[in-house]
Amino acid sequence: MAVSTQAAGNKKSKDSNNHVSTKSGSSANGINSKYVGSLSLITFAVLAIAWITGFLSRLFSVIRFESIIHEFDPWFNYRATAYMVEHGFYDFLNWFDDRAWYPLGRIVGGTVYPGLMVTSGLIHYVLSLLNIPVHIRDICVFLAPVFSGLTSIATYFLTKEIWSPGAGLFAAGFIAIVPGYISRSVAGSYDNEGIAIFALQLTYFFWVKSVKTGSISWAVATALSYFYMVSAWGGYVFIINLIPLHVFVLLLMGRFSHRIYTAYTTFFILGLILSMQIPFVGFQPVRTSEHMASAGVFVLLNAVAFLKYLQRFMSKQEFRHFFFFASVTAAALVFVTVVGLTYAGFIAPWSGRFYSLWDTGYAKIHIPIIASVSEHQPTTWFSLFFDLHILVTTFPVGIWFCIRKINDERVFIVLYALFASYFAGVMVRLILTLTPCVCVLSAIAFSSLFELYLKDDDSPKTDQSSRNDNLYDEAGKVRKMPHEQNKDENSIGGNLRIIVLIAVLFILLLFAVHCTWVTSNAYSSPSVVLATYDQSGRQILDDFREAYFWLWQNTDENARIMSWWDYGYQIAGMGNRTTLVDNNTWNNSHIALVGKAMSSTEPKAYDIMTSLDVDYVLVIFGGLIGYSGDDINKFLWMVRIAEGEHPQDIREADYFTAKGEYRVDEEASSTMLNCLMYKLSYYRFGDVRIGGYTGFDRTRNSVIGNKNIELTYLEEAYTSEHWLVRIYRVKKPHEFNRPRIPRSARQIKTKATLTKKTSKKRKGTLRNRPVVVKGTRSGSA
Amino acid sequence: MEILFRIPFAILAVPNLKIRKPSWIVQPSAMVVFSLALFTYFLITAGIIYDVIVEPPGVGSTVDDRGVSRPVAFMPYRVNGQYILEGLASSFMFTVGGLGFIILYRTHGQIASGYKTHSSLGYYLMTSVGFICVLVAVLTTYIFMRIKLPGYYLHP
Repeated sequence: MAVSTQAAGNKKSKDSNNHVSTKSGSSANGINSKYVGSLSLITFAVLAIAWITGFLSRLFSVIRFESIIHEFDPWFNYRATAYMVEHGFYDFLNWFDDRAWYPLGRIVGGTVYPGLMVTSGLIHYVLSLLNIPVHIRDICVFLAPVFSGLTSIATYFLTKEIWSPGAGLFAAGFIAIVPGYISRSVAGSYDNEGIAIFALQLTYFFWVKSVKTGSISWAVATALSYFYMVSAWGGYVFIINLIPLHVFVLLLMGRFSHRIYTAYTTFFILGLILSMQIPFVGFQPVRTSEHMASAGVFVLLNAVAFLKYLQRFMSKQEFRHFFFFASVTAAALVFVTVVGLTYAGFIAPWSGRFYSLWDTGYAKIHIPIIASVSEHQPTTWFSLFFDLHILVTTFPVGIWFCIRKINDERVFIVLYALFASYFAGVMVRLILTLTPCVCVLSAIAFSSLFELYLKDDDSPKTDQSSRNDNLYDEAGKVRKMPHEQNKDENSIGGNLRIIVLIAVLFILLLFAVHCTWVTSNAYSSPSVVLATYDQSGRQILDDFREAYFWLWQNTDENARIMSWWDYGYQIAGMGNRTTLVDNNTWNNSHIALVGKAMSSTEPKAYDIMTSLDVDYVLVIFGGLIGYSGDDINKFLWMVRIAEGEHPQDIREADYFTAKGEYRVDEEASSTMLNCLMYKLSYYRFGDVRIGGYTGFDRTRNSVIGNKNIELTYLEEAYTSEHWLVRIYRVKKPHEFNRPRIPRSARQIKTKATLTKKTSKKRKGTLRNRPVVVKGTRSGSA
Repeated sequence: MEILFRIPFAILAVPNLKIRKPSWIVQPSAMVVFSLALFTYFLITAGIIYDVIVEPPGVGSTVDDRGVSRPVAFMPYRVNGQYILEGLASSFMFTVGGLGFIILYRTHGQIASGYKTHSSLGYYLMTSVGFICVLVAVLTTYIFMRIKLPGYYLHP
């Protein structure tokens, strides 16, 4: 009996469900037209809130510190922007910067992605037209937070095209606060990525739209947006490989259509021509392997389209074989052509940076300068979880939804997900490109789950009430009926469903808390100004700016500063002095020369420094306050990079202890204890008493091995308050103390004096005059 | 045109063979693709590329106060360092969480579409399995996070 009622109930529910679906299908349009106002209001409100939230949560650094440019690269971008605003766009494009890479200089206009500078310059221009005076620095500081709002809107549209508007709103909310994106777009982090992610999402939205509609105008929009992306960030290579891959996979799946043909050919041709307008990119799109995939797919797509055209004139049987062989031949032909052109030298092979993405060990062995950057390290589980939190688990769920109901544009997002997650595994910094995709897919997962669990609650009720309305018109009875019917029909999971909903909401709450915490604690430090926390509260260490200000005020205007390349942009931006190497690491041998100077002994380093006209040497030393990002910790990379260019002079093994450890205490090797970097870092440090020890390095937790360091060729010029920055002056050849030469080894040119005497211009000389060797104190050797 | 095609066959005799597409080459089904993707994702979130390049030990060890060496599963305080096992463990938790979401959706989705495969008990069971999977994953990763970063959620 129970079974039969159950079955009946089941049938009924199925019935009513069908009823509902048809009804809701018909009424959905009605609702849409009826409530279009409130729907768009909700959309607008959510997007506006996402924008505001995203903007505000990126302001931690400004509130905690000040409106300042962060880190390293942003300083160059800021300097270039300021130059452009001051001198105009064309002067900026022709700018030859003789204050960087001394003595080579740098052609800035031709080696920079100008999108960032142009964007903020344009904003500055418009604001000044409106008589709103804003300093260009403030525009640079707040550019990335403002663009994060645009990114979330672009993400909304992308997700809307791929799944549904509801999922789009979720995605917009996620991308506004997800730490993986915030890490590159806090206020003051004035870097290419800040605007590039917006361009990336916009390009993908236009691309998906043009694949869906097959209209030329959307494809043109894709190309224009791609142009903006090319002008903004080197990561455009990801787009120009992903879109052809999408087309290629669609071809493999037998999903060729004229929509795709129109979209891709338009995008490819316009995108190619537009991207070549950027001076830095130039002829790369037709000459390097990174771009060849797009050209190959273009040829292949045309071949397939041509074969489809031939299909009209052939019988079905004929065509099947013909089509298969012809397309394989076309693919092989394209491949062989590309390989042949590469071999002949018309196309440059993969660049090292790109190649290291595929062969993960490549950078470690061949290009230490790439491997040395901490954000190029391979990713651990923790970085992924830290940057994405709960989204890391819902991401595959989104892929599952997309694969289950696959169509042209979902193929795209799945491919994007697969490749971006692989790249994110290879390099920490590429989590950035994974993040938008994770947001989209997680939004799909959450949105579907909510749709299911929320809608089921309402639909039987509305259905019943509507049916009741039709049958009887008595309001009193209607109230009870649905309750009773609900109970035996569809309340199986009623409570459970609510619990699940609450749990999921709780998880989302955890996510929001996590995002805020990570933003405030991990990603909001300018790293130009450091803060430490102790019992007495917060202490600001402003040593960097202190030292750069000293450089600016106390050194000659054309003084050349040697430092490791990390600090090049900051010295140029804040100290306004000429640098030898900087963060634009285009010349490996030059960097290797600096690395060699840092890792050789003082006399050898002096030769290098005089040949490079160095006036001051700047080192970062964190041993006194326990700052771990200092030069001693980076030193091994200097050795490695120097070894790459000068293997006969520098050997990495010499800098390790006998056990193969990297140490600075007494067990360290003598090469280590006598190299320039060690001496400059620990000069006079042996006199400092910390916690009962003298010369105790707090970063490496050890007492240094060489406590009385003497400098012959350099002298200490400035040391900042917490010893974070130490600046040394390189003595001129006439200044430093000549080393004492034992009497037996001295060459006394008696003959020369004799000949002088006989010459016409003679001066009186004393025979056996005592020779004074200046300056060597008797105590020291 | 015909003549052009015939030229090679004046010299060559056409061999009597038939090339057939091997039967095992089929377009993979959606769920096969998804399983592959999920497995790859599992490996990547486990930091397998880090393991390959950096070659960390499977489990670390410390010496405690009494001089006894004890294994340590998590490399604490290091955001960009890990042991092999901790990566696999947390990645497993991510995957379990994802599967929990899928189970939640599937169980409920089938009821909603009126296609009922489970009994009432089965429905409860499946929902709670999915639910527990999600909760366990979230809580465990939270605990992992606390081990890794002891100051987590505390104001500095």
